[in-house]
Amino acid sequence: MTFTRLQILKGTRDYLPPEVERHRYVEHKLREIFKLWGYQEIRSPTIEFIETLSTGVGPELVDGMFKFQDFNGKIVSLRAEMTAPVARIVTTHMLSAPKPIRLFYICNVFRYSPSYFERGREFWQAGVELIGCNTPEADGEVISLLISSLRKLGLKEVRIDVGHAGLLKNLLKATGLSKEKKVNLLGLLGYRDEEQLEKFMDQNNFSSELREVFLQLSRSRRLEDVSSVSVDPSKYGKAENCLRALLEVKDILVDYGVENVVFFDFSLIRKIEYYTGIVFEASVPNLGLPLGGGGRYDNLIEKFGTVKVPATGFAMETEKCLQALSAQGFQLQEGNKIKILVTSRFRSAAVKAVSVIRDAGVTAVLDVAKRDEKETIGYAKLGEIDYVVFLGSSVNKPATIYDTRLDTATDLTLKVFLQRIGG
Amino acid sequence: MKRKIRIAIPSKGRLRQPSIQALQYAGINILEEKRAYISETSDPRFEAVFARTFDVPIYVQYGAVDLGMTGHDIVLEREADVHELLDLGFRKCQLVVAVLENSTICSINDIPAVERVATEYPNLSRKYFESLRKQVEILTVRGAAELAPKLGLAQIIVDISETGETLRKNNLKVIATILDSSCRVACNKIAYRIFESEINELLDKLRRHLTK
Repeated sequence: MTFTRLQILKGTRDYLPPEVERHRYVEHKLREIFKLWGYQEIRSPTIEFIETLSTGVGPELVDGMFKFQDFNGKIVSLRAEMTAPVARIVTTHMLSAPKPIRLFYICNVFRYSPSYFERGREFWQAGVELIGCNTPEADGEVISLLISSLRKLGLKEVRIDVGHAGLLKNLLKATGLSKEKKVNLLGLLGYRDEEQLEKFMDQNNFSSELREVFLQLSRSRRLEDVSSVSVDPSKYGKAENCLRALLEVKDILVDYGVENVVFFDFSLIRKIEYYTGIVFEASVPNLGLPLGGGGRYDNLIEKFGTVKVPATGFAMETEKCLQALSAQGFQLQEGNKIKILVTSRFRSAAVKAVSVIRDAGVTAVLDVAKRDEKETIGYAKLGEIDYVVFLGSSVNKPATIYDTRLDTATDLTLKVFLQRIGG
Repeated sequence: MKRKIRIAIPSKGRLRQPSIQALQYAGINILEEKRAYISETSDPRFEAVFARTFDVPIYVQYGAVDLGMTGHDIVLEREADVHELLDLGFRKCQLVVAVLENSTICSINDIPAVERVATEYPNLSRKYFESLRKQVEILTVRGAAELAPKLGLAQIIVDISETGETLRKNNLKVIATILDSSCRVACNKIAYRIFESEINELLDKLRRHLTK
């Protein structure tokens, strides 16, 4: 295909006004709720050094970063996610700040992917990070905030699935399998085919105890089911701690009244590597891909400095939220959107009039096209303008107000007209 | 009310008929098979679509369908992040490396550097040769890879072999097996969360048929 200047990069796109409006709705709602929960917004550079962005995220994400050289020959990249930049910011600016620190961001990130069925190569994330606390209350808070945020957007049947990166890691370690076999086992857990899982465990001489733990965990669907799984703390102490952490978080979710929409998925793994504890994913029945997710990452921030700072957080994709909303038939409420066109042979009167209307909080545009009356009304109808004000020499004298939907004209002063439309 | 559970069935090829049959045994008869449209089934909870075999795992991963009848080899080739809930056991086959019978290449070790490999499975081929530290040039073809050696397109092919008949007919010999495959029930991860009981019921029926 020959290059033309009309092309844009694969996986990027233009957003036209109605769509931007929808995105702004999501961003506005999320910003509002994040703030209500005490999170503060931050921004970071779109481009950073690859060393920063690649810290802790794992090779798969690094492979998908848009990398290039800066003027000094250093490798830089467009950000592919926001947790590593936040970890850098915390290390540079906030190490002595009182903990916990609550931060949020709403920004675009970039990932190269061979297909863009799943998402564009540039997409928008809204996320929070709760830094400096490793209590189950912190995990419970971010999970509850994720649920509240999605509901606030208008989504129904929101569901969270929770796994535990540490539990899985410790149990895999306990199997004593080779690296390759661990990958196989992880794959099998993800397949959710119990027969194949059992066959694999038999072939690889799992102890009956470990075998039972794997089976019970992959059968567990609710966080409380985990309580019936018994692991010998003397042998699998760390795994036991992880199980207890899950149950503690469950209790907190009960207090938030959201435990009925939170489920357990032993096989749940996030594609980014830095997670150490509870991980989770949000979904709704109408969309086959998760809307977002997150989890605990207690070892990431220390990679930037020397201080160990535990943290947890999530990111959601605004585009997916919008897809889910439209799949659920959600209609965006169009609020106060009256739009008025002012036209007059007397320019100074017209300029004054638009300013009066705008001061009243109503959208006003000045006729700059110098058309006749009929053409002006035609334009107003196509341009979704509700009223055309044909003004004489003064703002205070009655003007002809043309209602483009009813096709009626009334003579009113601007003041009375604005009162009538509630401006 | 819950929406219907959508199953993708390969529209052509060796997986198509046995997939339809397996579903029949499980009580899901496809009522009217319209081209490229969604077909009703005798079980009101399920509907079916016919899709290109190679696309089924992708449809499943992105939730365009909830379930898909597909080969394990295809799931791996498309690197689809899906559950593989059940091994249906039919269409057992192997992904193999083959060369012409009279070729001097008798094993993987004989493959000269940067040799060309024709295949419908570029991802799996690349990974396989990489794991052997063999540098090859992968040539992606759409079907009929077995013709490539005869035509001089590539000395080596990576292709699916069920009975070995096609390979023999084309004077090809197998020098290595990459993986074993069979037909699987693939499932979208979110769909399984929502429809677990319905899907498990279907799997039980399929299992009962398999053990017969």
